[in-house]
Amino acid sequence: MSLGGQLSRTSLMRGMVSFLREKAWLIIAFLVGVVIYNLPVPEGLSREGQIIIMMVIVAVILFVTEPVPLPTVALLIIGGQVVLLNKDANVVASSLMSDSVLFIMGSLMLAVGIIKQKLDKRLAYLIVRITGTGLFQISVGITVVCGLLSSVIGGHTVAAMMLPVALTLISLTKEHTKNIKGLAAVLLLSIAYGCAIGSIGTPSGGARNAIMIGYWRDFFFDPTDPATRKYIVDYLDWMKYAYPIFLAQLPFVTWILFITFKPEHKTLRRAVAKLRKQIEKQGPIKGSDWAAIVIFLLTLTGWVTLSDRLGLGIVAILGSALFLMVGLVRWNDMNSGVNWGVVLIYAATISLGVEMTQSGAAEWLAVSFLHLLGPLHMDQGVPLWAAYIALTTLVANTMSAGAAVAVLGPVTLHTAELVGESPLKLGYITAISTSFAYFTAAAQPAFAIVFASGYLRTRDFLKVGWRMAIMSVVILLLAAEFYWPYLEG
Amino acid sequence: MPDIDIELEVEAEVEKRFSILVCIDGSEESYSGLRYAVRMGSDNSANLTLLYVRPVDQGLSSGGLQMRVARENMLKWGVELPGTKALKKGRDMLVEMGFMADDWKEQVVHTDITGDPLGDNTTVYMNDEGASISLKLLVSPSVDRGILDECEIGGYDITIISMTETAEAKEHAGYISPSTTYMVATQHRGTVLVARELEEDHGHFMCVDFSEKAIQAAVKDARIAARCHCPVHLYSVASSEDELEKARDVVAKAKAAIEAEGLSIAGESVEIGDPVESIVGKGRKFSLIVLADTSVKGLRRFFTTSVAYEVLQKAANSVMIVR
Amino acid sequence: MRVGTVMGMKFSPRAMGLFLHDRRWLIAALIVGTILYFVQPPEGLSREGQLVLIISLVAVILFVTEPVPLPSVALMIIIAQITLLGLDSSKVARSLMSDSVLFIMGSLMLAVAIVKQKLDKRIAYLIVRATGTGIYPICVGISFVCGVLASIIGEHTVAAMMLPVAVTLVTLTSNNPKEVKGLAAVLLFSISYGCAIGGIGTPSGGARNAIMISYWKDFFFDPTNPETRRFLVDYVTWIKYAYPIFLLQLPLVTLILFAVFKPERKTLRRAVAKLRKQIEEQGPMKGRDWAAVGIFLATLVGWVTMSESIGLGTIALMGAVFFLIVGLVPWNDMNSGVNWGVVLLYAATISLGVEMQASGAAEWVATSFLDLLGPLNMDHGMPLLAAYTGLTTLVTNTMSAGAAVAVLGPIALRTAELTNENPLHLGFITAISSSFAYFTAAAHPAFTIVYASGYLKATDFFKVGWRMAIMSAAVLLLAAKFYWPLLGL
Repeated sequence: MSLGGQLSRTSLMRGMVSFLREKAWLIIAFLVGVVIYNLPVPEGLSREGQIIIMMVIVAVILFVTEPVPLPTVALLIIGGQVVLLNKDANVVASSLMSDSVLFIMGSLMLAVGIIKQKLDKRLAYLIVRITGTGLFQISVGITVVCGLLSSVIGGHTVAAMMLPVALTLISLTKEHTKNIKGLAAVLLLSIAYGCAIGSIGTPSGGARNAIMIGYWRDFFFDPTDPATRKYIVDYLDWMKYAYPIFLAQLPFVTWILFITFKPEHKTLRRAVAKLRKQIEKQGPIKGSDWAAIVIFLLTLTGWVTLSDRLGLGIVAILGSALFLMVGLVRWNDMNSGVNWGVVLIYAATISLGVEMTQSGAAEWLAVSFLHLLGPLHMDQGVPLWAAYIALTTLVANTMSAGAAVAVLGPVTLHTAELVGESPLKLGYITAISTSFAYFTAAAQPAFAIVFASGYLRTRDFLKVGWRMAIMSVVILLLAAEFYWPYLEG
Repeated sequence: MPDIDIELEVEAEVEKRFSILVCIDGSEESYSGLRYAVRMGSDNSANLTLLYVRPVDQGLSSGGLQMRVARENMLKWGVELPGTKALKKGRDMLVEMGFMADDWKEQVVHTDITGDPLGDNTTVYMNDEGASISLKLLVSPSVDRGILDECEIGGYDITIISMTETAEAKEHAGYISPSTTYMVATQHRGTVLVARELEEDHGHFMCVDFSEKAIQAAVKDARIAARCHCPVHLYSVASSEDELEKARDVVAKAKAAIEAEGLSIAGESVEIGDPVESIVGKGRKFSLIVLADTSVKGLRRFFTTSVAYEVLQKAANSVMIVR
Repeated sequence: MRVGTVMGMKFSPRAMGLFLHDRRWLIAALIVGTILYFVQPPEGLSREGQLVLIISLVAVILFVTEPVPLPSVALMIIIAQITLLGLDSSKVARSLMSDSVLFIMGSLMLAVAIVKQKLDKRIAYLIVRATGTGIYPICVGISFVCGVLASIIGEHTVAAMMLPVAVTLVTLTSNNPKEVKGLAAVLLFSISYGCAIGGIGTPSGGARNAIMISYWKDFFFDPTNPETRRFLVDYVTWIKYAYPIFLLQLPLVTLILFAVFKPERKTLRRAVAKLRKQIEEQGPMKGRDWAAVGIFLATLVGWVTMSESIGLGTIALMGAVFFLIVGLVPWNDMNSGVNWGVVLLYAATISLGVEMQASGAAEWVATSFLDLLGPLNMDHGMPLLAAYTGLTTLVTNTMSAGAAVAVLGPIALRTAELTNENPLHLGFITAISSSFAYFTAAAHPAFTIVYASGYLKATDFFKVGWRMAIMSAAVLLLAAKFYWPLLGL
């Protein structure tokens, strides 16, 4: 028998055709890439910048259409940076890792630890006891809890903490019915959006807020001029401006989620009943439960108090290391429980964002965007704000919120001065609209974390994202137009 | 929400089915424990779980490739893993003894998050009445940990574990060493039957001491014994003449409690002497020496060896510790 | 009924005692660390160097005794670098990732992908067709094929892939394992030693090789000095040095195996015939088989030709990407088949190794080691090489080969500089002898995988291991003495 036997031509053809149909988007993405790669370099943009923009576009197409497993895209980004940009492999490799990647990794591991200890069930039950068993009430409850917490300790933390709660409810529902796609989406995205809209509330909600405060101070504060004291924004000032915006968005989030996903079940009575039974069976909180709670609270305190010195990621890693060392969770559970692909995706996206800033591609995008606006008479007042929101939202979807503020902040504040707008207003607008990165799974850590659960597809983010984005933008503009002048007056 | 309450009640009833965990390591002794379990669940009214625990493979020592990949590859070739072989032998025995028929529905479960990805494989066989036989292959850092885990999570009514030191038994990867058995017997909070040259048909030798727990344990044992139609012999030891009356009293109390349940005993006796020696000596001709775990949690459990554990060490035949 | 906790732990003193007993080595390691922390640094060692050495020592104790899951040791190393050495968290995060870590990750993904293709049957067919039915030729054939494959894709891949072939041959010969003990041992050890001696053949054969190459480059290569270009070891150069050593060991392996375990049968005619039949049911190679072979060959070609310019790691990742894109392996298999903890572990140890070199700790250890060897007249030439072979063999038997090279590498290279030996020679000695982890079943990846089949006894490993180790060390030293000087590097 010959091992290399002849393949019949027809079956080969059929196989090829079905393969190509499956991978249509992959081919389209690559074609788009090749076209952009061969375009002449636009003025003001380096060749490097062009390649980066090409990679971003290809990556976004692949992220949204999913013709290949998503981690593949992350690997392609890494490979692309080495091969297309001719960068040293070691440099690219080290640009993958940063404190925030460690954070994502650490918090996913923590989540596994918490699930193993079944603490998620107790927390879920606590929430459910307050909200009742209706799905709408539960998701409102989750959003509120997430929003309130994340405005203080940052969205990613809260997402990591609440993910197991949603997973519990979903898996309990899954036991008696197969149709849970909509329900899972609503519950998980309640967390994601709760965190996203909450994290703008106070300066400690996210790095971007702190970065913007720093910019104001650096650019406008002049110790000799008392009039510039208003550019030193403190915790309370920020809350006055931003918190109402978060509160105003709250009621809309659940509503939009319900419209978009039309959950299959309106009540979780069965799941909650099972939950109650399981918790009763678990009995009172025991030694190892306490140990897990203590470790988790320590981690949480660490996040709030130590993160500026040690970094969020290290604290997260310390927490998960403690879980492992005390023996509350086995490594094999973590290995299979953590979605390492998400870590890879996030790492690659961040590295791409860094590259975008370094190559000047981000700035080029911002500047050419403003050029476009000139003829449309959008270069002042509400239209200008709207334009900035759109720009920031766009950029923030391709890189981390902190990086987006870091890149766009100077451009925005510069523009404000040029056109005579209040730098505070435009600054707030930029910082707040970075949280409107709703479109891809990797746009925000909170999104990446809920995406890791495996119940969501990248398309879901897009499907609900645009609705949410419109809602958020409208609220932000309304606040800027009608509410903020009050504060200044 | 009445519908749910009913549903939950039904679920609870299913869970009330008597459940037995048999720890298998491939040795002859562990299969004799299985035979005894079959007697206990003779009318198919008990849920039977066969457990094989394999010590965990450190991912590092396999260079970062999870052993699971290698194992799956072996399965694809139709080569059986060490643990499966032992479990399948157990299943074949069940079929042979007529406990399990061929028409039981088979269901393979592989749990990922609650279990270990390397080998937490469970095959469940169910008959129409809802009785089930599960073959469980578990991976754990050590055999004792794995067994204790399963005991705690599964909430079994009785756990059967063997105690053997033959060279044949030692060759199995999941070998249950005497220290493992001892660990399970002392650490587990449920009833444990330590099978050691377990012979059927010689009845239970139920030893009661003066505690309240002993009476409860006697009742519990009587219920278990009734399942396999084994006669129960009540026994108590007094350390001196003065206590003799007290001992008689206890036996009578236990007898009354058992009879109140509608069960009966085959005999009763009282003796004066050293508790451990007398129990070990007298109990030799029975299938099982049954003791209540009357030791107090905490410090005493850590430092002193209670009568139950001393008997466990010194007895030549099987011991059951009722909790 | 009380339902307890997952690990069966309660907070009773007994449980507490057990808990502490399980972790006695952790406690011991931490105490040793704390004591050393307060000791004055010895002369010639900076405070920083001392701290790095403490971290390494504690880590090594934990590696060897394994009181806690090993990935948590990796996490602890990262945390210690930040808290003890006061480094910036993002900087440490970046130092975690390098091309060699990407290589480890990529090659593990490749390993999963390759094992999942059913190529093992084809390979088995080729072996039995070429060797006939005599047990001696079959064993040589298995070792040879395993070695050649392992030199390219790593020993764990090949061991996992080929294990069923040997087990099938054994079971087809006799159903009673007791009858064919010697036969099983010879066949299974042929696989594991084939993999063990083959893994050194090329840079892509194992993490240790990639780590050594990156150390040479980091420590000695200076772009301004063309003299130092020889420290950029490429794929072909490595093969020139190492491959002959693998080939020399090959016949000796089978000889030793036959001397130690006397197989019960001299020919496997019936088993081979049955195996052939079983394999032939597979039919001819199909499209996806060819695709898998194609991707594998493309990766190999990439390694040989491009590893210098874009790095071993990038190519490995691209290989994995192709497997994913073509759909030969789903992402889930990779997520759960790769032990990500090992990736973390290597990342942490390499970062520690680099820190060891930078802080001067490596230099201090090298000097002290030389001071020890000096009186024995072993501090130069062949005796020195022999001493390092011995040291590495010892260390690698207690922990993983990659970690051994990551820690010992900087010391060995420093020693070479101090004694005017060729750093390339000492580096090769360290990397190659790190594969002599023959003494226990857990010391070598290929051994662990083969041991899992249940056909070998734990004591068998040492019985044959010490003979093999002497043979391998002798071959290595002979090559270093007579062959390497001929290469003139």
